[in-house]
Amino acid sequence: MTTPLLSVKDLVIEFNTEHGLIRAVDRISFDIFEGETVGLVGESGCGKSITSLSILGLIPSPPGRIGAESSIKYQGKELVGLPEEQLRLMRGHDISMIFQEPMTALNPVFTVGNQMMEVIMRHKKVNKKEALKMAVKMLEDVGIPAPEKRVHNYPHQLSGGMRQRVMIAMALSCNPHLLLADEPTTALDVTIQAQVMDLMGDMQKKQNMAVILVTHDLGVVAEFCQRVIVMYCGHIAEVGTVDQIFNRPQHPYTKGLLASVPRVLEEKVEFLPTISGTVPDLGNLPKGCRFADRCERATEECNAKPPQLTIDEKTQAGVACYHPYK
Amino acid sequence: MDNLLEVKNLKKYFPIKGGFFRTVVGNVKAVDDVSFVLKKGKTLGVVGESGCGKSTLGRAILRLHEPTSGEVVFEGKDITGLSHEEMVAKRREMQIIFQDPFASLNPRLTVFQIIVEPLEIHEIGTAEERYEKVCSLMDLVGLRRQYMHRYPHEFSGGQRQRIGIARALTMNPKFIVADEPVSALDVSVQSQVLNLIRKLQQEFGISFMFIAHDLAVVQHICDDVAVMYLGRMVEKAKAEDLYKSPKHPYTQALLSAIPQPDPNRHIDRIVLEGDVPSPINPPSGCPFHNRCIHVKEICKAVVPPVINTGTAENEHIVRCHLFSEEEQAKSKGETAKPTAESETTS
Repeated sequence: MTTPLLSVKDLVIEFNTEHGLIRAVDRISFDIFEGETVGLVGESGCGKSITSLSILGLIPSPPGRIGAESSIKYQGKELVGLPEEQLRLMRGHDISMIFQEPMTALNPVFTVGNQMMEVIMRHKKVNKKEALKMAVKMLEDVGIPAPEKRVHNYPHQLSGGMRQRVMIAMALSCNPHLLLADEPTTALDVTIQAQVMDLMGDMQKKQNMAVILVTHDLGVVAEFCQRVIVMYCGHIAEVGTVDQIFNRPQHPYTKGLLASVPRVLEEKVEFLPTISGTVPDLGNLPKGCRFADRCERATEECNAKPPQLTIDEKTQAGVACYHPYK
Repeated sequence: MDNLLEVKNLKKYFPIKGGFFRTVVGNVKAVDDVSFVLKKGKTLGVVGESGCGKSTLGRAILRLHEPTSGEVVFEGKDITGLSHEEMVAKRREMQIIFQDPFASLNPRLTVFQIIVEPLEIHEIGTAEERYEKVCSLMDLVGLRRQYMHRYPHEFSGGQRQRIGIARALTMNPKFIVADEPVSALDVSVQSQVLNLIRKLQQEFGISFMFIAHDLAVVQHICDDVAVMYLGRMVEKAKAEDLYKSPKHPYTQALLSAIPQPDPNRHIDRIVLEGDVPSPINPPSGCPFHNRCIHVKEICKAVVPPVINTGTAENEHIVRCHLFSEEEQAKSKGETAKPTAESETTS
C-alpha cells in the first residue's frame, strides 16, 4: 500500500457561537492518494467546505478551532499547528485552492496578471518579467483567448467562466500536488460548467495532481471523480469508489440522496422519492446516529450510539451504519 | 376555451442611458419576440442560462416589468392595457414564487402576517375566516400550525420556500410563475418542494410557468418545455419530445452538458466554445451562430423564422435555419436531425 498524499485523522472543527460551542466537523478521518480525484459531497451545513478550508489552515480563529487530537498530514508532515509563515509557503505551492465564487476570490483592484505574478514570485525565484511570461503561459494553457492582453484585465472585465479559468490558472501556476476545489462550477451555467470541468480534468492529467472536489452536485461527482466521501451533519456517512457509491450505495442517506435527484431522460415518475424531515441542528444533535430520525431502517441501537466508520485498508471503502444496504 | 394564457410577440427592452444628457443609447433586448400558449392546468418549463431573459419573461407576463410591446392574453383578455387598479385585481389570479426564500420574505413579519397579507390587501373575509384560511394553507404546504407566529429567520430554506408557496396560494390563483423555486435548496429538500408543487398542480389544477436552469428538474415537473437563448425562445415542445429529440443545436448542447449522477452512462458531450454574448450587443442573425457547430452563411445575416416541425396539435417549435424548407429540401436523404457527428461547417 502506498502512503497517502494527505492523511486526515480525527479531525474536529468547532466554532464558538452565540448558541454555544458548535462542532461542525466531528472526528472524521480519510486519506487522499497521489493523482486521484475525490469528491467530497453533502448538503449545506454538513461540513464539507470547512473540512477543505482546514487543510490549508484557513479556518478563522477565533471563532473557529481545530480539535487538539486532530491531525492533518501532508506527505507525512503535520499541518495542524504549523506556524503561519510555513503554511503560507505551502499554500499555492504544494496545496492550492479554487473557490466557488471567482468574483469575491479575486482582488478587484489588481489586474489578473498582477495577482498571478504575486503567487509565482512568492514561490519561485523569478523576476517580474519572467513571472509575467509564466502568467501569460498559464492563461494560455487554461484556454483564455489573447492571453497577453487579458493578463492586463481587471476581474470585472472578464465573464464568470473566464474568471474561474483565471482562478484555475492561478491555483495551478506553481504545480501543486493537491488541489482543493470548493464548488468550482456552482456559480456557472451548465455549458460553461462543462468547459471548466473539462479544463480541470486536462490540467489534472498534465500535472498529475490529486484533487479534492467539494460539491453538492452528484452529477459532477459521477463524471469527474474516482472516489467519493459522503458527509452528513459533520460525520462521514460513507466512503467508496464512484461505482460503489452510485450503483451500490450502502448508507441509507446516500441511497436516499441519490434517489431524490431528478434525472434527465429517465422514465417520468409522478412523485420523487424524498428523505423525510430535515437535517438536525448542529447545536442540538441526537445522541446516536445523526441520520436516525430520517432513516427507515433505524432501530434502538441507532438512537443509542453513533455508528463508527471503518475504512477497509485495501479497498479504501467503508460505511458508518449499523444496518447498511448490501 | 382551454387556453389560460396566450403570449403574443412579447418584447421587453431595457434602455441603456449614456452620454451627458442620459439619452437612450441602446437597448438590452431581455425578451425579444416571444410567443406561446399555456393551457389550463398545464405547466410550461422555461429553461436557459443566466441572462437569457427567462426571469424577465415571467415578470413581464405578470407586468412586474412593463412589457415594451406585445400582448399577454389571460383568459381571453389582453392584460397589457389594464389600469393599475384593474391589474391589482387581476393579480389575485396570477401569482409568483421567487427564487430566494431568504430575500423574498419580509423579515419583520411573522408567518401568519406574511400569508394573510394578500387577504388584507384585497379585503377578503373576516378575521376568523382569514385565520382559518392561513391554517389550512399551512397544513397544505406542510408547515406546522404552531409555527404561525414565528419569523422567517427561524426557518430553514425549504420551510421558507413553503411559506412563499403558501403566500402565493392565498388568493386561489389560476396561474403561478415559479421563478427558480428550488435552485437555492439542497437536493433532499428540493425533491420535497417539487413534490409539493406537483400536488398543487393535481389538486387545484393550477397552471404553472416554471422557470429554471436545471433541465432535469424541469423535465420532471413540466408538460411543455421552452428553451431560451439571449432573449429568444429557440425551441419549444412537449417535454418528452424535447428531451428525446432536441432539434435546436443549442438545446442539444445544453442537454449534453448536464452532468449525470450515473457513472454508467456516457454521453458524447458537445462542449460549446466561448461565452453567451452580451444581450446589449447580440450577434446579427441567429443569436447563437457564433457558438453553433452547424453555422451557415445565412445564420449570420437572417434571424431564423419560427418553424413548427411537429404537427398542428403537437407542436415542436424551433427557431433555426437548419429546419427551414430550403435546408430540409437540400438535406433530403440525409438525416434531417443535425447530430454532433454530421459535418455542416464548410
